[in-house]
Amino acid sequence: MFGLQASSAAASWVVGRMGTDAHLYDDPEDASIPALLDSRFDADRIDALKRLLALIAQGVDVAHLFPQVVKNVAAQSLEVKKLVYLYLLHYAEKRQNEALLSINIFQKDLSDINPLVRAWALRTMAGIRLHVVAPLVLVAVKKCARDPSAYVRKCAAYALCKLFDLLPEESTTLEEIVDVLFSDNSPGVVGAAAVAFKSVCPNCLALISKHFRRLCETLPDIEEWYQITLIEILLRYVIARHGLVKDSVMFASNLSLVAQGGVTVDTMSYTQPTSVGGISGTRPNIMLLRHYIEEHPGCFDREDDKFSSPSVTTSTNDDVAILLKCTSPLLWSQNSGVVLAAASVHWIMAPVEEVKRIVGPILFTLRSSPDAAYVVLGDILVFAKTAPLLFAPYDEDFFICSSDPYQTRALKLEILTTIASESSIPAIFEEFEDYIKDPNRRFVADTVAAIALCAQKLPSISSTCLEGLLSLVFYESSITNSVHLDGEDIVLVQAILSIKAIVKIDAASHEKVIIRLVRRLDKIKQPAARSLIIWIFGEYSSVGNLIPKIIPPVLKYLAWSFAAEVLETKLQILNASAKVIIHSAEEHLEEFKRIMAYITDLAACDLNYDVRDRARFISNLLPCGKTSLNENDSTCQSHSQDIRKELADHIFGGKIPTTSHSDSNYRIYLPGSLSQVVLHAAPGYAPLPKPQSMELIYHTIKLTRDTANSSESNNSNAESESSYESGSVYDSESEGGGLSDKDATGSSQYPNDDGHNLHHRQDNQEAPLVHMYDDNVDQGQTGRNVEDNLSSLISTDLTELMSKSALESWLDEAPALPAVQESMQKSIARVSFTNRSFERKPKLHTLLDPSNTSGLSVIYAFSAEISPISRLLVCIDLFVENNTTDQLTDIIIKSEEASISKDEMDQTSEGSASIPTLAPVEEIRSLAPQQTVKMILQVHFHHHLLPLKLSVLCNGKRHPAKLHPDIAYFVRPLPMDLNAFLCKENQLRGVFEYARRCTFKDHLQKHGCTEESTDHTDKNLLVAQSLASKVLSNANVHLVSMDMPVTFSIDDASGLCWRFSSEILSTSNPCLITILAEGHTSGPLDLTVKVNSEDTVFGLNLLNRVVTIIE
Amino acid sequence: MLQCVFLLSDSGEVMVEKQMTAHRVDRAICGWFWEYVLAHAAGDPSKVVVSPTHYLFQVYRHGVTFLACTQVEMPPLMAIEILDEMMDNGFPLTTEPNILKEMIAQPNIVSKMLNVVTGKSSAIGNKLPDATASFVHWRTTVVKDASNEAYVSIVEELDACVNREGVLVKCEACGDIVVNSSLPGVPELTLSFANPTIINDVRFHPCVRFRPWESSQILSFVPPDGQFKLMSYRVKKLKTTPIYVKPQLSSDLGNCRVNVMVGIRNDPGKPIDSITVQFQLPPLIASADLTANHGTVDILADQTCLWTIGHIPKDKAPSLSGNLRLEEGLAHLHVFPTFQVKFRIMGVALSGLQIDRLEVKNTPSAPYKGFRAQTQAGRYEVRS
Repeated sequence: MFGLQASSAAASWVVGRMGTDAHLYDDPEDASIPALLDSRFDADRIDALKRLLALIAQGVDVAHLFPQVVKNVAAQSLEVKKLVYLYLLHYAEKRQNEALLSINIFQKDLSDINPLVRAWALRTMAGIRLHVVAPLVLVAVKKCARDPSAYVRKCAAYALCKLFDLLPEESTTLEEIVDVLFSDNSPGVVGAAAVAFKSVCPNCLALISKHFRRLCETLPDIEEWYQITLIEILLRYVIARHGLVKDSVMFASNLSLVAQGGVTVDTMSYTQPTSVGGISGTRPNIMLLRHYIEEHPGCFDREDDKFSSPSVTTSTNDDVAILLKCTSPLLWSQNSGVVLAAASVHWIMAPVEEVKRIVGPILFTLRSSPDAAYVVLGDILVFAKTAPLLFAPYDEDFFICSSDPYQTRALKLEILTTIASESSIPAIFEEFEDYIKDPNRRFVADTVAAIALCAQKLPSISSTCLEGLLSLVFYESSITNSVHLDGEDIVLVQAILSIKAIVKIDAASHEKVIIRLVRRLDKIKQPAARSLIIWIFGEYSSVGNLIPKIIPPVLKYLAWSFAAEVLETKLQILNASAKVIIHSAEEHLEEFKRIMAYITDLAACDLNYDVRDRARFISNLLPCGKTSLNENDSTCQSHSQDIRKELADHIFGGKIPTTSHSDSNYRIYLPGSLSQVVLHAAPGYAPLPKPQSMELIYHTIKLTRDTANSSESNNSNAESESSYESGSVYDSESEGGGLSDKDATGSSQYPNDDGHNLHHRQDNQEAPLVHMYDDNVDQGQTGRNVEDNLSSLISTDLTELMSKSALESWLDEAPALPAVQESMQKSIARVSFTNRSFERKPKLHTLLDPSNTSGLSVIYAFSAEISPISRLLVCIDLFVENNTTDQLTDIIIKSEEASISKDEMDQTSEGSASIPTLAPVEEIRSLAPQQTVKMILQVHFHHHLLPLKLSVLCNGKRHPAKLHPDIAYFVRPLPMDLNAFLCKENQLRGVFEYARRCTFKDHLQKHGCTEESTDHTDKNLLVAQSLASKVLSNANVHLVSMDMPVTFSIDDASGLCWRFSSEILSTSNPCLITILAEGHTSGPLDLTVKVNSEDTVFGLNLLNRVVTIIE
Repeated sequence: MLQCVFLLSDSGEVMVEKQMTAHRVDRAICGWFWEYVLAHAAGDPSKVVVSPTHYLFQVYRHGVTFLACTQVEMPPLMAIEILDEMMDNGFPLTTEPNILKEMIAQPNIVSKMLNVVTGKSSAIGNKLPDATASFVHWRTTVVKDASNEAYVSIVEELDACVNREGVLVKCEACGDIVVNSSLPGVPELTLSFANPTIINDVRFHPCVRFRPWESSQILSFVPPDGQFKLMSYRVKKLKTTPIYVKPQLSSDLGNCRVNVMVGIRNDPGKPIDSITVQFQLPPLIASADLTANHGTVDILADQTCLWTIGHIPKDKAPSLSGNLRLEEGLAHLHVFPTFQVKFRIMGVALSGLQIDRLEVKNTPSAPYKGFRAQTQAGRYEVRS
């Protein structure tokens, strides 16, 4: 029976798969593919090709069949063609020569009658990415851009993006084609043109100006994916052309305007706890502005007034009004990406009172898919932080479902905290109460932290919050005592932290809470929780009327339990008792001092040195008991006592500065960008252009156009013509700016040479891969981010309290600010670069000057190549040039020393080891005038740093020359990963470590030329790149890693760290170089260069060399 | 733009790899991703993962993980929404299902038989679909075999949340208007509602024209052929749910008594069926003994208790009761489960939205028009 069922199931499975290609995927190699490929029948060939594609999809390399497959490109069957194209695209780059064979067929196909064939041919031809073919593709694209079929034109637009990678120097031609495509009638083509625009010339916003109106009008008709891109381009254009809108959120001086109806003035003061009302309201907006708009060094200082007085209003500017009008229906799109893109236009450009229309649509996208909801919530968080009242009526939408993943929950909690207002807090609070029973305890702890934040924001509810938190503490402590549960501790600790945070606002009025908490001390066994309570007790021991009364028993209890406590609790007991003594009234002082003396005596015998140190410190600072002996001492003694007293007051009695929960803790990027999700500037992220930056250029163009084309008729053709001109004027201007600082060799463009965005793009694709890491990596990206924001206030206090580092917990009033900074510095972005990402520009040295040698010039550069003869040899590239008008013959290069000691060396090869030797070099028979020949010289330097004397024989004459060795090339790259590096570094401490300080100024010049550019890159990244490439082009080392600090201030480069690894040629000992930066990117950077090597002399020399390279 | 897309099976095996650009992504990234998922995210990774080399967007559907890799800035929502769509060079190319269907023939029983019999298989269309050039790109220009029918159905999901006090915190209906059109030519359809004002939020298929909706809340559109989602909407702040679920959990001395009552609160006038109540057993439960006076109770492998009720009988109120034995040393339950309720009502849209009429113009003969409505539970949660 069962067998029958099973077989029938199998049968239906077979039937279901019959006639499909599924079997090909199961076992692609069960037939002889080459034989099938050569078959006369299309069916067989199709079968073979499908098998090949199945293999590719499974990750098998089937490149060896390339020639056989390429043959089939001429097949008549469209299906064969399509499959061959797919195969070709995958392998063309690997098998360039064979791929060239197919080009003729593509060219033929480009004039096929079937538009599908034309489109495929174009897509494939552009996709195979061969530099040789690129000019042909360009011609094809030009032709296809005017094809009668819209589909082919669309493919032409896509081909532009691919072509741009290959032919960056043809960018003007490509821009022309983009312009043609923008004026297309078909919405699909216009959309594709937008994509092409974004890849080819994202900064030529001037190109948009004549299309702007039509683009806005076609916006609803084009496909949704293009809408996202086009909306972004249009927004950038409007900002660059007209600037920001005066009455938008960015400039709203008082955010209460944002809220509509039912919002009274006093709710306003709740959202701004800093209480300076109107002025403080603008602060986050200016920040928002700063984050959105491109940073120009110093421009905010200079042009502050310019930013605060934008000249545009929606009502007066048509372009802005049209953009807003055309994007508003897109808020109803079914694609959440389009909704978010349209919403961000309104967010940035719409007048404040109209911004509220984006709220409903954005919130509705939360329902579409959990994945999209996560991204949208991240953006809503930024919106809500800027304008809490905008979202305040929609708290229901952020209530947490049991199906939400943790990241979504954390974001929703933070939004709820942000938008909580006097009217909505009861409902939110009821929700929070429910969440506390949730099985996910990490989420519960977050909820508890959120309660504290709400209470701080809305003081009126703080007593309710405290009651709830207290009962939670009692409840949790009873549970955790009975059973050990995973994750329960964090809830308990977080609850106490939240109480602490609320109490801090107004300790006196909450003294009963403190007393109840302290009375609970013997029931709470959690060390972290105990030390927190003891801290609270010590901190507020002098506050109010009731607390001083309970001090004696509590202190006695603490003294009694001291020996049984763990380290952190012991330290807190010491601190707390010291504080009690400082603040206590006279009548109890003696008693307290006795207890204190008892505790310090206990602590002095503790096993842990931290506790012993702390005890010694306190007993010296607050001499209790023993002071009575010295009471009749001299004034000098009493003077020092005064100092002690003051010191103690400062250390223990210092009031905690109110930690302003600074907005600076989070970074803001444009809504809907990847950077906003990952919270760092992803490579290629571009903030909005500088407002009205285009106007000036626009005018100049107009002028030039007027003069240039005065005779031209103003038909549409001339119009487009001149606008190209304008586009190129614009471009060449920025290019010129970028290039002007370049040295004459101009050998390579740099990624940070933003003016030349072509190269920039290319570099972006392969270069910076940013990796954020953090101490609590396992919590995931958002977990970290949210927790940082949510409980930064609280958890920094926690670090302060719980820190193992003695001084910090010792100075437990350490203001939270340094702690915040510390926590911020902990998160560092690690950028992994391959060595290839940097163009090496080896420095050229002159060996022979043509003036001395009757026209023979020899230039040399150290090369990173490894000699094929021996690992010990250093390769040097020699460029021999004939500057005369005559033929030069018989050029020989010999080492002088070697020629002298040749005989000796042959006899005693060991003895001559100290003399640099030259591997035999071929002579150059003849050198024609103006001809340059490259030779490779291989020298065994034996670590000699003295110049190597060479003689160059030419035309029978001998020219003496000196070759200066470079120690930076006495090493070879030693590829290793970061862990291996750190491991090795640890082995090479102490005597093997050398460090020197130096300054780095190169990036300042770089800034000079990027200032005018319109592209944006993280400045730290620029600095990091310029230094790394400088080192890599002057030393033969391997770049292991580049760490970048993720700090709020974009300028701050402290913490930038480069690691290079290499091994010494002769001994193969590893040689590690670490460079650490300090200071600001706007000024010279202080660098600490450190070399770890077993070969100490060599290490020291290398260190000096690296320092000179950098300086 | 996306550089590469991987399809991973639920065991982390790479099923399909598609490189989009010249900057190839090594498939080692999948291994990294899988280890990351297992090690750090406890199987619940963030939607955007930052790997050492790439940004990864991941979408999980039906046991398949779609993993897209990029190195540069791009709108994350675009990546997430596009993952299973068609792309070129990392940009979306053609996503309209109608066009795709024409370009790549779907296997159907006839073509399968044809393939088996003739030994010939061609899944790729030989002609460029006309719609690629058309302004109404969602509609194929020549609709063959049109049966001249149009069906409109309202499919609603009720999202509700009842808190521990039994108060209805949130209750809203999220509905889709699904149209199945089989009309010849280029028909012009107009759909109007009797009570459009109750709708809070809307989302439209690209075929819907915005102007008529803005001015008079009328949906005017040229439909794609076949079934599609014309509109999604949300009606917020509904007053009641059709059924009630009242869980009671009381724990004492290491035992937790569970009692869940289900009944009809607000009869919608149509039968309510497929009722199920599901909840996650709290952690630290030694044993569970749950019975119901109606329907079946199953405890699934992932510690989920599923109570399948089906119809609510006329004579009695279904209730689930039983006892949970807590683990040694735990006297009280400290975390409480959330009950997820499912039900289905045919013939009623609980939000009260009503279609006024559907006008079809530009067709040779008057088509047959049909209307349907259905409500089912979406995220209906009852906390205990």
